[in-house]
Amino acid sequence: MDLAVKVRRYDPEAKEPIPYWSEYKVEVDEYTTVLDTLINIREDIDGTLSLRCSCRSAICGSCSMRVNGHAQLACKTRVSEIAPDGGSVTIEPMGNMEVIKDLVVDMTPFWDKVKAVDPWLQPEGPEPEGEYLAPNEDMLHLAGVMGCILCGACVSDCTVLEVDSNFLGPAALAKAYRFVADPRDSQEKPRLDSLRQYSGIWDCTRCMECVQVCPKGVAPMDRIMVMRDLAMNAGFDKEIGARHTDAFVELVSHSGRLDELKLPVKTVGMFNIRAMQSFAPVGLRALVRGKMPPIFHKMLPNVENVRRIFRKLEPKK
Amino acid sequence: MLEHDVLVVGAGLAGMRAALAATEMGANTGIISKVYPVRSHSNAAQGGINAALVDRGDAWEEHAYDTVKGSDYLGDQDSIELMCQVAGEELISLEHMGVIFNRDDEGRLGTRAFGGQRRARTFFVADFTGQAILHVLYEQLLKSEITSYEEWFVTSLVMQEGKCCGVLAMEIRTGRVYLIKAKTVILCTGGLGRVFEPSTNALIVTGDGIALAYRAGVPLMDMEMVQYHPTTLKGSGVLITEGARGEGAYLLNKDGERFMERYAPSMMELASRDVVSRSETIEIAEGNGINGSVLLDCRHLGEQLIKEKLSQIYDIGLDLLGIDITQEPIPVQPGMHYQMGGIKTDVDGLTSVPGIYAAGECACVSVHGGNRLGANSLLDTVVFGHRAGNHAAEVSKGTTQEPLDVEELVGQEEKRLAEILSRDANGDRVARIRLDMGTAMNAHLGVYRDQNGMKEALDTIQQLKERYTTVPVEDKGRTFNTDMVFDLELGLMLDCAEAIAVSALERKESRGAHSRTDFPERNDADWLKHILVTSTPEGPKISYSPVVITQWTPEERKY
Amino acid sequence: MSKYAFFPGCVSRGGCPELYPAAMQVCRRLGIELEEMVGASCTGAGVLQEKNQFLGDVLNARTFAMAEWMGLPIMTICSTCQGVMSQANKRLTDDPEYLARVNAELAEEYLEYKGTTVVKHLLWIIIEDIGVETLKTHVRNPLTHLKVAPFYGCYILRPSNALGFKDYPGRETSLEELIEAIGGEVVNFSGKSRCCGFPILTINEANSVAMVGKHTSEAADMGADAMVTPCPLCHLNLDGYQPKAMAQSQRKTNLPILHLPQLMGLAMGLDPDELGLQKHIISTGDLVSKAVPA
Repeated sequence: MDLAVKVRRYDPEAKEPIPYWSEYKVEVDEYTTVLDTLINIREDIDGTLSLRCSCRSAICGSCSMRVNGHAQLACKTRVSEIAPDGGSVTIEPMGNMEVIKDLVVDMTPFWDKVKAVDPWLQPEGPEPEGEYLAPNEDMLHLAGVMGCILCGACVSDCTVLEVDSNFLGPAALAKAYRFVADPRDSQEKPRLDSLRQYSGIWDCTRCMECVQVCPKGVAPMDRIMVMRDLAMNAGFDKEIGARHTDAFVELVSHSGRLDELKLPVKTVGMFNIRAMQSFAPVGLRALVRGKMPPIFHKMLPNVENVRRIFRKLEPKK
Repeated sequence: MLEHDVLVVGAGLAGMRAALAATEMGANTGIISKVYPVRSHSNAAQGGINAALVDRGDAWEEHAYDTVKGSDYLGDQDSIELMCQVAGEELISLEHMGVIFNRDDEGRLGTRAFGGQRRARTFFVADFTGQAILHVLYEQLLKSEITSYEEWFVTSLVMQEGKCCGVLAMEIRTGRVYLIKAKTVILCTGGLGRVFEPSTNALIVTGDGIALAYRAGVPLMDMEMVQYHPTTLKGSGVLITEGARGEGAYLLNKDGERFMERYAPSMMELASRDVVSRSETIEIAEGNGINGSVLLDCRHLGEQLIKEKLSQIYDIGLDLLGIDITQEPIPVQPGMHYQMGGIKTDVDGLTSVPGIYAAGECACVSVHGGNRLGANSLLDTVVFGHRAGNHAAEVSKGTTQEPLDVEELVGQEEKRLAEILSRDANGDRVARIRLDMGTAMNAHLGVYRDQNGMKEALDTIQQLKERYTTVPVEDKGRTFNTDMVFDLELGLMLDCAEAIAVSALERKESRGAHSRTDFPERNDADWLKHILVTSTPEGPKISYSPVVITQWTPEERKY
Repeated sequence: MSKYAFFPGCVSRGGCPELYPAAMQVCRRLGIELEEMVGASCTGAGVLQEKNQFLGDVLNARTFAMAEWMGLPIMTICSTCQGVMSQANKRLTDDPEYLARVNAELAEEYLEYKGTTVVKHLLWIIIEDIGVETLKTHVRNPLTHLKVAPFYGCYILRPSNALGFKDYPGRETSLEELIEAIGGEVVNFSGKSRCCGFPILTINEANSVAMVGKHTSEAADMGADAMVTPCPLCHLNLDGYQPKAMAQSQRKTNLPILHLPQLMGLAMGLDPDELGLQKHIISTGDLVSKAVPA
């Protein structure tokens, strides 16, 4: 069948270097991948099209790009699945990274962030003569994260990075988790201590874009959430994010429902005057409009059942 | 000025292992790669890495014998012995760096069975062992002081008075040419799979280092030995790990028969790769295949095992063919996979040209001889990468850097590249030349070969070399000009193709992966020797070198 | 006549008290019969799950068991409730052993979840159960002059394998379909599937507000008269923090943010005040006059 491929182009050496679109007509079959079509274009139609690609089997991580608006590996995406009746496919470079040329983006900040989490094993004491003994379940669990091919798809579509380029981002944080969860590593606590800082685990907005686009099932956000819990259990529970989570859990455990009026107060602390002031303008405006949460929060009729579950499964420290 | 004691070209397993060894020895070390290190093709090694661990009741001699037999007695037994002796040490050192090898019930490293070996000695991480090791070496690279030139393409080796003193390289992002001085250069550029079409190899696997060394006067050895992997996906040619058969998958013909029973009754699907690929080719030729392929059947392995240990090929089946391998067999065929031959080196990676080292698939020590065993390639990369790094660092200590006319050298190279960019359109394309080369190589230097076919392929290559001198590059820019990179790669690949064809024509017998219909038998009397090919102004020149036999006299191979 | 166990969620009667009555009115018009799940707890909103996913799954299994006992599918009116419950339901129904462990915690209350409860957002119910054609018959005041930007909320889009997108591919564009069904013009802006920033509001307000600014200005730049969302948490941020976003970005967006039932209610000719449109931070006055000809 025929397919129209729209590719977002950029030539920094052009007289007016601005992005533009090229459209190509190609022939595809049931098994043609997006990468096959791009290689076809580059080899037979337009040699000026630049893109990174190599293995064609979703293991090298080179060919991440936005296909119909979402980051994915071009080699892992069959055209027949995204455009079952032909039609058109739109290809753009990854987001959140500067475009160098056409579909090639600058990944320098990406590697810098991976490096920033000290991504190497730090065992304690002298090395054993043989291997470190470790449970296979732990290794299988780590395989889920080690399966990360550093393709950048998660970073491309991360909603926090869109507004804050300082955020470590899903790939680097997943990499960090690979060490936090490795039974051979001795630095879990110092690692968590550093990850709980600004631009780390608490800055994730839980939008799940990274879980959705990851071509390898690494689920970076899920790893970040586990590290939040580990950080809190390691005693790093004074972060505003940690207090937010704690406050949320406490409120629900009390009434079975969320009390939004109390949540910010509990999160920032009643005596954190500056933070309270920052909520004030919104609060006042909301009060004037009659939008404020009810002052007397209603409890569930059978709240004792919920409390019992909480007492058993999340006992207070 | 860019300057190093040791400069490693290529950042796959061999390259990173070499660089880490060199820097540990105190050498000022650089590593240069045309891609980001984690994009290297070592990623694609799925099955595992071999090592005979004494505390598992295994012995290195057993591993060495299997390797010698697998090589069809062309491997040098002293090198093989060395590799198998240090395998355990290298394996454990990878584990200490952080590789998450699968474990047994006691938490020790677990093994799986692999082809051509009588004992399960393959250590693995699901079916992405290469990736799991590559990423851990990258972690170690980040930890080290090594200077990493990423997305830089080496265009030439710099030779002065018969000695290599560095490389000329193009920074792909800017198109600028730089000279990087080095007392020693270690080539770890991997194989040459793209010389063939189709191939399981990644698009970046273009024999760069092999051709660079060849052009610099280093002899290439065993180049006729090209491995066809028995299980590559029909159509795309993507690799399906031997681990599938290691875990117990069957090969079936169109009647549902496990045809390997007729070819290798004791090892069955786990006979060595050359044997299985030949058997499949015969089945298909005799009309027992299905549209040019046979079937790989994993169904009886069960969903849990498949998803835990063969997860990547489960995904590949779904993504590329829409087939769920837990429910349906997949069509496979032999496909070009690995180059046993390469730059002739000793066990320290040193070539006959001072300053040039090589390790990994681009090198030929020779430990694989006529046929490489599955999971011996990862071992080869770390063992000889490590040794080359050590040796080069040691040698560079006693060497002083030769003065070089940097401006002159860079200027010449820029002129050479500018000429390529300046060519006018003539209707020809780089991709077309590569396809013509790949198709000819696959047709005539594949699983079965004969004199006429190989001669035809060699003629084709020589014509393509002519076309190559005038083929234009469409992209005229300097920034990330991938078109230009392909052009340079094609030139290197054509040299490799010629070396393969010339060597293969020379070997008038059948041994290992080199199966000639016109010389169907192995002939130890005349051909138990390595074929070397050296580039001269008059064209490729053939010479020979003896095979080192230590304790295993050649005998007939049966599986 | 379609009947559902109604799970209003905390916010529809808390931070966004206008949502609950608006949803009730719209459902009444469409003939959707609701039985409110008064004993159901909060879903955990993903926050509780950070700390203790098992606990979250027990709470949601409890809700599913109640609906199972009522013999009704659950209706939500919040993307976050929907997503968190869908994810929990997937974990529970994918793994019988896990379900048994969860059920053990419910035994004391004599509840058991068998794994049959369907959870659907009002948005999906309208498209899949009621049908666009039926909806059209209830439109008294087609919104032909309005350009409306859809804003889904993360939890109703991702991860798609927990949200039944394979069986219901239309869910990915359900909001656009609905806007068009009631006569509006869809503003197809890139922010529609992104994050509103609410989850990090107390943690990193600058980033949270920057997200609000980014999406509202993109939609406004494309000529949107309003933005509509099926998620009250998105509403809290996009509406409540738009003034801060305007201050941060120096861009006067003043884009009204409507709850899904409010926009539908306008098209059905319901009274804007009864829909709670006067309760918003960003004034909906101009919008209402444009939508409802005097």
